[in-house]
Amino acid sequence: MVANLDAAVAAEFTELATGEQIAAAAAALERNGIRPLLAATGADARELVGSLLPDGAEVYNNTSQTLQAIGVADDIERSGRYQPLRLRLYRMDREMQGREMRTLTASPDYAVGSVHALTEGGSLLIASASGSQLGPLASGAGQVILVIGAQKIVRDVPAGMRRIYEYCYPLEDARARRAYGVPSGVNNILIINKVLTPGRVTAIIVNERLGF
Amino acid sequence: MSMFDYDARPVTPGVVLVGATASRGGYAIRDFLSRNGYPFEWVDAGQPEAVRAVLGAGEVEPSALPLCILPDGSRLAAATVEQVAVGLGMVAAPARSEYDLAIVGAGPAGLGAAVNAASEGLRTVVVEAVAPGGQAGTTSMIENYLGFPTGISGSELATRATVQARRFGAELLLARPLTGVSADGPGYVAGLSDGTLIRGRAVLFASGVEWRRLDVAGVDDLLGAGVYYGAGPSEALACTDSRVVVVGGGNSAGQAVVRFSRYAQHVTLLVRGRDLGASMSQYLIDQVTAIPNVEVRVRTQVAGLEADDRLRAVIARCGDSIEPVRLPADALFICIGGAPRTDGAAGIELVTNAAGYLVTGSDAANDAGGSWPLAREPLPLETSRPGVFAAGDVRCGSVKRCAAAIGEGSMAVALVHRRLAEVGGE
Repeated sequence: MVANLDAAVAAEFTELATGEQIAAAAAALERNGIRPLLAATGADARELVGSLLPDGAEVYNNTSQTLQAIGVADDIERSGRYQPLRLRLYRMDREMQGREMRTLTASPDYAVGSVHALTEGGSLLIASASGSQLGPLASGAGQVILVIGAQKIVRDVPAGMRRIYEYCYPLEDARARRAYGVPSGVNNILIINKVLTPGRVTAIIVNERLGF
Repeated sequence: MSMFDYDARPVTPGVVLVGATASRGGYAIRDFLSRNGYPFEWVDAGQPEAVRAVLGAGEVEPSALPLCILPDGSRLAAATVEQVAVGLGMVAAPARSEYDLAIVGAGPAGLGAAVNAASEGLRTVVVEAVAPGGQAGTTSMIENYLGFPTGISGSELATRATVQARRFGAELLLARPLTGVSADGPGYVAGLSDGTLIRGRAVLFASGVEWRRLDVAGVDDLLGAGVYYGAGPSEALACTDSRVVVVGGGNSAGQAVVRFSRYAQHVTLLVRGRDLGASMSQYLIDQVTAIPNVEVRVRTQVAGLEADDRLRAVIARCGDSIEPVRLPADALFICIGGAPRTDGAAGIELVTNAAGYLVTGSDAANDAGGSWPLAREPLPLETSRPGVFAAGDVRCGSVKRCAAAIGEGSMAVALVHRRLAEVGGE
């Protein structure tokens, strides 16, 4: 299944942000209680994530093209350095251990993922079909690390919403149908405007086009 | 970030295993991967479209089955568990030349000992033939273990214990059975199937039990083809809408029934005794007897099996009835008690009871005749060899419950300290 994207929309939301926009977004994130880190490349971002995750940490990696593309998903699930929650969930019996699975996914020590849009005012926008990823990002996870390709930087929240509905959703719907045989949906949207616990959320802005 | 975290499965590629559904070798690898929590995709070699999707061709030579594709893309034809374990990097060399305590078996007793020994500073290694958890690791839900009011699965308990043991510095060497133990001064040397030697100043046998064999014609030929020993954690989903028979009267059988009843159309529990109360916990009896799609047949034994390329029916004989009953079945799970796993101990001739369980404490000295070499009596969990201990299901007289095994494992560590002090160096 291939998504039908309007060419102008695709062009608008795949263009990398300028240095000024990246700097503005990073400064705004800091004002909003979110620690910004800048990475020139995906490889640099991968190293940064590695430096932020302590050995043996319990980590939940969200399904993310960005994390897969730069090797972070592989590091978390297969390096042996961490306790990857996905592997623990995999071995659980959905029928017998639903409650255990729910509590494990809701409150990992570390949640690693990405966003669908980052505004120049320092707001993070994340959409979800099931909503399962949003609670941990908002408050359930002890620490949150988000890796964000610089093409996801938009002017403001309305532009971020347009990015979600007009650009991300068609691509994600096509992916979900291919991967799972079911449609996706913009059923939940989390907007993080400010984080009250300093250092809880780290946003790594990568000067590359990563994910969608 | 994707909007849909569909089933929380790992996002990186796992193992792809192509095999015949009714295949002993395929089942052995499925069971191994499943018990180690390693993600895999099972592809039925009889489904050309599915085979083509992973191999590019719709057919695969029967002699190449089971065919295992590792995450790095390399292929193992006619794969074995040992090859898969090596291919996945699960076989590590020991990090030390000598350990204070070598533990045989990573079930509840072994892991309990490992956590306690390592946390107290003992250089600790655990060797395990298959996967952490032992028999308890295949249990879908343990509801009477202290501190888990809504229950915990055996695999989750094992996962947590493994992480805990490693955090304290214990080493776990997986996927290699113990082949023998020999004396080495006041300590011992344990040999593993790949030739690895482990030197331990003390040894703890926490090797547990294996399922007792069902003495019915045709069982061995159907292993993996509808007949399984234990609760077969890799098989639960495959039992969806099928007819399942479970044999056994203990907690393992009861837990298997509860689990399969969630998937199967109908589950029949065959119990040799007159009722379930003799060997099953009351909470499980209450659950098993209340599930609508579960039928319990007491005073019933398996008399035969009907099969073509896989199991089709179980022939059961009930009580005094002369006429056998035919129970159509897609799967038979055999959970009939255990036989102690003491093969690796043969070299040091430990005293066992008639059923093969390791005798410990003062009984060990008495039963050993004049061969006990020390002036003192064996310590409570010490076998007929000084410095060799036993805990959990493998020990004669142990209570065959998870909590009891964990308790014995931790108790053994206190006794190991006494032994190490005796031989010096502590």
